[in-house]
Amino acid sequence: MFRLDQYAYNNRLQKVHPGEKVAFALVTLLIVLAAPRPLIAALVIVMMAGAATVIAGIPFRFYLKLMLVPFSFLAASATMIALTISHQPQAGLRGVTIWGWTLGVTPEGLYLAARVLLKSLGATACLYFLSLTTPVVDILAVLRRARVPALLLDLITLTYRFIFVLLATVNDTYTAQVSRLGYASLCSSYRSLGQLAASLFIKTYRRSQELFTALTARGYQEELVVLETVYPFSWTFLCLGALFDLFLFFLMLLT
Amino acid sequence: MAPLLEAVKLSFTYPDGTRALQNVTLSIPPGKKIAVLGPNGAGKSTLFLHFNGILRPQEGCIYFAGNRIDYSHKALINLRRQVGIVFQDPDSMLFSASVRQEISFGPLNLGLARDEVAQRVEAALVATGIADLRDKPTHFLSYGQKKRVAIASVLAMEPRVIIFDEPTAYLDPRSTREVMALLADISRQGKTIILSTHDVDIAYTWADYIYIMARGRVIGAGTPAEIFCDAALLETADLARPWLLEVYEDLKNKGWLPATAPVPQKKEELLGLIPYRSRSILAI
Ligand SMILES: Nc1ncnc2c1ncn2[C@@H]1O[C@H](COP(=O)(O)OP(=O)(O)OP(=O)(O)O)[C@@H](O)[C@H]1O
Ligand SMILES: [Mg+2]
Repeated sequence: MFRLDQYAYNNRLQKVHPGEKVAFALVTLLIVLAAPRPLIAALVIVMMAGAATVIAGIPFRFYLKLMLVPFSFLAASATMIALTISHQPQAGLRGVTIWGWTLGVTPEGLYLAARVLLKSLGATACLYFLSLTTPVVDILAVLRRARVPALLLDLITLTYRFIFVLLATVNDTYTAQVSRLGYASLCSSYRSLGQLAASLFIKTYRRSQELFTALTARGYQEELVVLETVYPFSWTFLCLGALFDLFLFFLMLLT
Repeated sequence: MAPLLEAVKLSFTYPDGTRALQNVTLSIPPGKKIAVLGPNGAGKSTLFLHFNGILRPQEGCIYFAGNRIDYSHKALINLRRQVGIVFQDPDSMLFSASVRQEISFGPLNLGLARDEVAQRVEAALVATGIADLRDKPTHFLSYGQKKRVAIASVLAMEPRVIIFDEPTAYLDPRSTREVMALLADISRQGKTIILSTHDVDIAYTWADYIYIMARGRVIGAGTPAEIFCDAALLETADLARPWLLEVYEDLKNKGWLPATAPVPQKKEELLGLIPYRSRSILAI
């Protein structure tokens, strides 16, 4: 989480206009979802990995680790999709047969599993590309341009900021408890964890009040107006992205 | 000089029954450096929240530039435009993940044009020495850096009065010096500064005028020299004497300084008073 966020602020595509990155990621995502054949999804996975690691400069190992998170879930579900249990003989079913029941795979099942797996990974790759290259603040700026209601955006702004405040508070409280043997036994661990949660609730409530006070002191009136960073359009990125998406689009039409 | 900001017979009790302020009267002259000293829980932060119209006094009233604050929407907006507060804990001020956006929030609320706001943000970044942090997310900043962002976010609003609630708490010696130098800069621009602190040394050298609070009351007021010569007052307020005064008096009592030596305001002044050894032997 922290590292992902850090790369979002420090990568070679950070200076590219966030609107371009959001558009590129979303259009590609749509193509992946709409494309009937898994070939396109596979292509997107490779291209997005390339864009994130080679072009944006995210370390390959970190990217791989990130991809492995959804992959382990998806692999489990894909396995379940691929497996078939049947009483009747089916065309192309191969597997083990016990008491007339067959547990095995059919070509269609395999194909379907591969499609689901690749599509999901392709979609994930698109979103990873966006979150690895674009800070949340910039994505919010794009959403504001797209006329998303200000209330929702303010909520996201505060939530995002407070994730870090909350994590820091959890960390401090937890350390303070550990240093006083709060987690020495199973029993005390349960008690400490309960107290951690309770104190977190109270502290969060106090923080929200303090924040409101501080915002009011600076003239807050129902909307968090801020100055957005102006990014120049990057024609190179725009052209490359558009070319890639067009290529995928025609590939989708042809196959 | 007519006071810029004034509290008259202010009393305030929190909903839980804590009497945080009792009959507090004090006035802030324009362009001066005012320190408010007092132990924890004395009511300093509560008083500051009144100066900005966040809290409303249950008794008494606040005057700004001679006008009584009537807590209408317009009066509050005007008060907050003129009086800025830098809160004790920067984490409670920062709402945005972007340093630039954070600083732009206040000036935009003033209704300024975006170009003007952008200029003010730049100026505030430079003044607080954090120009190189402008694109860093606020959650990866150190405490001292966050404090500077908080200061910049108020500076950019260019209020006439800036209140600093314990600006040097938790700062390392170097950051403390830098923040105090920044305050001196701001003061030179003609702004009025109010600061709360527990550090008697800082209050002694920095302030033009000092208020001492304890248990919700103002128990003393005066110039630094007056305040720190009043042993009984310091005793009741649990305050120590500044080291500068202690050393000065000891040197004087032991004859290292002439009896006519003026009371020093700064370390440099004291050092300047101490004569060289060859001459001082003759003096003894
Ligand atoms: N939100 C609140 N609800 C109830 N009581 C409060 C609240 N905030 C402060 N108090 C109480 O009011 C009194 C004055 O608090 P205040 O924060 O003004 O003191 P302070 O002089 O700023 O102290 P410190 O030096 O510790 O910052 C204290 O007794 C405190 O417990
Ligand atoms: Mg306080």
